[in-house]
Amino acid sequence: MRIPREGCDEHIVPRDITSQVNQPIEEHYGATRPPKLQYQMGGCGIAGCMDLSGGRLSGDKIAKMLETMGERENGLGAGYACYGLFPEHRDDYCLQFLFDNEDVRCRAEELLESTGTVTKEERVYTRRVKSMRPPFPLVWRYFFRPDPKVEWCGRTDLSDDDLIVQLAMHINAEMPGAICVSSGKDMAVFKGNGYSYEIAEFYDLSRYSGQMWISHSRFPTNSPAWWGGAHPLSILDWAVCHNGEITSYGINRKLVEMAGYRCSVLTDTEVVTYLWDLLVRKQRLPIPIAAFALAPWYHSDIQRLDPESARLAKWIRITYKEAFLNGPFSIIVGRREPEVTMIALADRKKLRPLLVGKSSDDKILYTASEECAVRVVDQNAETWTPNAGSPMIARVGRGILRDGTEQPFTGVRI
Amino acid sequence: MSPSNSSKKRLELEAPERFRPLVDYDLCKRCKKCVNECSFRALEFVDGMVKPVGGCVACGRCINVCPAQAIEIHQVPSQFPPHANFNERVRRAIMSQASSGGVLLTSCGTDVPYPVMFDEMLLDAAQVTNPAIDPLREPVETMTYVGGRRGQLELNDEGDRFSMGDDPAPVVGMDMPIMIGHISLGSVSYNAQKALFMAAKELNILAGSGEGGLHKDFHPFAGNVVSEVASGRFGVTGDYLKRTAAVEIKIGQGAKPGHGGHLPGEKVSALISQTRMIPLGTDALSPYPHHDIYSIEDLQQLISLVKESTEYKVPVGVKIAAVHNVGAIASGIVRAGADFITIDGFRGGTGSTPRIIRDHVGLPIEVAISVVDQRLTKEGLRNRVTVFAGGSIRSSADMIKAIALGADAVMVCTAAMVAMGCRVCQQCHRGVCSWGIATQREELVSRLDPDVASARVVRLFSSWNEELKEVMGAMGIDSVESLVGNRDRLRYFGPNSKIAEIMGVKHVGEGWG
Amino acid sequence: MTSDAGHEKATKKHRDLEPPVRRLDDETVVVKVDAQGAGGRPVHYRILNSLIRKLMVDGVKHIVLEGVMGQRYIASTASRKDLYIEIHGTPGNNLGAFLDGPTIEVFGNAQDQTGNTMNSGKIIVHGNTWDVTGLAARGGTILIRGNTGYRVGIHMKEYAGTKPTLVVGGTAKDFLGEYMAGGTVIVLDLNGDGKRSPVGHNLGAGIHGGKLFIRGNLEKHQLGPGATMGQVTDEDIPELEIALQEFEKAFKRTVPRNWENWVKVQPTSSRPFSGHYDPTCV
Repeated sequence: MRIPREGCDEHIVPRDITSQVNQPIEEHYGATRPPKLQYQMGGCGIAGCMDLSGGRLSGDKIAKMLETMGERENGLGAGYACYGLFPEHRDDYCLQFLFDNEDVRCRAEELLESTGTVTKEERVYTRRVKSMRPPFPLVWRYFFRPDPKVEWCGRTDLSDDDLIVQLAMHINAEMPGAICVSSGKDMAVFKGNGYSYEIAEFYDLSRYSGQMWISHSRFPTNSPAWWGGAHPLSILDWAVCHNGEITSYGINRKLVEMAGYRCSVLTDTEVVTYLWDLLVRKQRLPIPIAAFALAPWYHSDIQRLDPESARLAKWIRITYKEAFLNGPFSIIVGRREPEVTMIALADRKKLRPLLVGKSSDDKILYTASEECAVRVVDQNAETWTPNAGSPMIARVGRGILRDGTEQPFTGVRI
Repeated sequence: MSPSNSSKKRLELEAPERFRPLVDYDLCKRCKKCVNECSFRALEFVDGMVKPVGGCVACGRCINVCPAQAIEIHQVPSQFPPHANFNERVRRAIMSQASSGGVLLTSCGTDVPYPVMFDEMLLDAAQVTNPAIDPLREPVETMTYVGGRRGQLELNDEGDRFSMGDDPAPVVGMDMPIMIGHISLGSVSYNAQKALFMAAKELNILAGSGEGGLHKDFHPFAGNVVSEVASGRFGVTGDYLKRTAAVEIKIGQGAKPGHGGHLPGEKVSALISQTRMIPLGTDALSPYPHHDIYSIEDLQQLISLVKESTEYKVPVGVKIAAVHNVGAIASGIVRAGADFITIDGFRGGTGSTPRIIRDHVGLPIEVAISVVDQRLTKEGLRNRVTVFAGGSIRSSADMIKAIALGADAVMVCTAAMVAMGCRVCQQCHRGVCSWGIATQREELVSRLDPDVASARVVRLFSSWNEELKEVMGAMGIDSVESLVGNRDRLRYFGPNSKIAEIMGVKHVGEGWG
Repeated sequence: MTSDAGHEKATKKHRDLEPPVRRLDDETVVVKVDAQGAGGRPVHYRILNSLIRKLMVDGVKHIVLEGVMGQRYIASTASRKDLYIEIHGTPGNNLGAFLDGPTIEVFGNAQDQTGNTMNSGKIIVHGNTWDVTGLAARGGTILIRGNTGYRVGIHMKEYAGTKPTLVVGGTAKDFLGEYMAGGTVIVLDLNGDGKRSPVGHNLGAGIHGGKLFIRGNLEKHQLGPGATMGQVTDEDIPELEIALQEFEKAFKRTVPRNWENWVKVQPTSSRPFSGHYDPTCV
């Protein structure tokens, strides 16, 4: 994805290539943001699956879906987010980190302990995968409860969610070598620098099962790649997998920064994640309204709606014009609160592929960039595409609430 | 620019003529149209021939009306000995002031060759990693709303239906991000203002009424008019405020920061005397400042007064000239409750202004709009206001770059006048515009046909809008919201990297990363 | 990065061996693309396609591909007119790109860019295809039993009798027939209720040649710039019949010939944007 940064040149460091014949020459970074990030193209693959009845799906399934779309990645980043992962720690925030070294891990841990209680911590299980190249950051997980009386930058009125957001953004911006990759309850993000199947193996995703998985495989064209830049991008329980490129990035970024978010991963997907948090959690917009703000209908189509809907649509466009995501995109967005939810949305010109499918018994929901990702795990699934700019929304226990072909403001209010 | 004084003795001390119309006597049909049409009395029919007699300002009217294309305006080579420092302009000014003892008066925008940053910036296009969009065949939207920004939308909490309460704030929609700026009835003629209002209505955009009030004949256009509360308060009645689509409090104007409106007595005709309620032939010099605005809290008071007087039904905004502290001023204005702000750059035009102010005071709009956009963003205010940029927007390229630098829309005046016939000869203040635009003399005003003139303005802005779509499409942007303040899509190609830094624009060759 | 170095790295995660091939007779061959089963690594498209090319050169006339799962570019540039490729599974993007003669029949759904820039031949899909089907096609026939997606039939062209035909049994979405310069697109909406339009917006945007026939509702606001709508005329019927009969034969379904419920969309002119440009400014 695009990573704008002032005054950067391309910087390729020659390596000893004898040990890696036929590998492209490139730098790799772990949890430290590379000093000279480059513009990164989106040619990626996204996939998601969810057990609508509340059952559990193992990580094998999502890995298979992503791997089948192998042409969409080039090995420089992949990731998975799993929801409904820690039912026994349901009320604790699970902060999952990538650390470059013990030192920065200790500092991050100190910060956590000074702002709340760590109810459990553990090193996240990882395996050595021969084809992956170092560095391999430490992957750590903390189950955390913020102290409601703690003061953060002089403020004592922050809600728990807001405090977690501040903590995560602070660590990402102020502690080089540490990246908080997910900070939500009952979910976690597993990502890194490698092919989708390598990352699946690295984390041994088959040992996890959750109600929902979303995932992303990446095709950046310029090195260096880094673990923190892979998708899904996540804040609190929001996770976004994004295929495409946002041409309105600078404007969207200004909006989220005005609202107090700090962009440190410096990709357009990070801004998309913050936008969902801003519109849905902070401003309490229903999801279809937020989706409309991000991918609004054309004025000519708005005029053909009934008068009340047309008025609402017009005011969404006026109020949230800086939230408008311009450019091609397909996104799969995951959320935990109040129930595990999946949102799939494509840009209003439908310049990126996005497919939705469900199993013949209506239990399993699938989303993917390509049909083969669904077929490979379910031969009999029914598939369709959501309309451009129209969200598909599904919730565990409630089924597919919007299939993506509806009018914008009708149907179930979510 | 010789003062209108026919004494031969005085004439000998005057500066030589700059322009001379040359007539090709072989082609000339002796129809005398040029003689009749020249309102500067620079041509006379003598001994059966058309002869130049001095005073030509190159307004081009004679060329336009000559049926034989027999006239050529000759720019007379400088009669001054060459001197790079004591250039011709400077020597002429000295000679003029030595004769007149007056403050040099002029009109239009500055003609001093300051650098134009618009001409030093290049736009981006999308390729490979991002598709361009074809505006001929796929929707590219340019609709722009003025006002109405509150940062958050409250919805009704009503079961399964999505609905909202009353409109959160007054708002006006324009089909394209262009507003015809404030040009008063007085500075221009009745026919010229009518043409501009007709064009605004046809295009569904806004046009400013200027500080001369709204003539009752123009009430049918009020839905596309922005009224102006300037320091002279001409024509500012409750009815005027309530009738128009929006109200703008004019604090300043780019061509003359720190000054109020200026209408020379030559242009205060019976019509103007009536509409402005001032004596015939007097100079209408608006006071500066507004005498009820001496500080920012006074401005808030005036904004609130206007909102109360219009029953909160129309957007209320403020126009300021771009001066050095424009960022902080803009921030204060938003906090004072303005729904929109217009920033007018120093190159803006005017019907009349002291030349010393026009040429030497203010800031260019390119820098001003970037600074304002950045400052308002930093203070978390940018999504609470609509920002207009004006001050010599000469082409669609300027418009596009101004939007990319941070403007929601642009304000255009001089280009609209040129579409109607103006040649930017800088004589508006004399009130003898041969095109019938910047004059109140009936025999001149009647030369301007409002239907013809408005059609030309409509065509001009329509084609600019198409060009805006072409460029947005090339950038892979399908709606103008996503161009506003998108400075990443500009690259500076000039010699002064500091100015690029201040504008927040990268240098050519710098990528995204 | 799309160099061979990156590519080799990619092929390492796929099977290096060709999938097993079983000869049924002189002319027919069955390729078990997913011989390793769902748990194993998929065959890389380069290996599959080079196998198909080899079989073509060897004179095989009927290739059956079983267990196709997302392999791209299958049969691209294939040019043997008498070749018939039968695909079971889900072929990946760009199926039959630059096709020039053969017939491909898919028993399943296809993906994006099916029939991309095809010259001649036939592609039959017993299912849906997704976006960008038939892009810039110059000839041949694409028959889709189900639905298709966005930007289908873009810039199809024709010349002197060589023209492409695209028949969709279900529905299509926005930008159908954009930039069309020739050829015929037919949308049948066989599973619809007759009320909701089977096509989206910007239909035929910029069309300057060719025609579209929609069996169902179409409103003026759905048309793109340069397109106009009208009734099916007697002159259209012979061409429509040929296409519909091919469709019916391929999918064993009957298409109602209720011409009064059909809409024809064609260009307003062959130069829809004249007047938009000013060539005279100096």
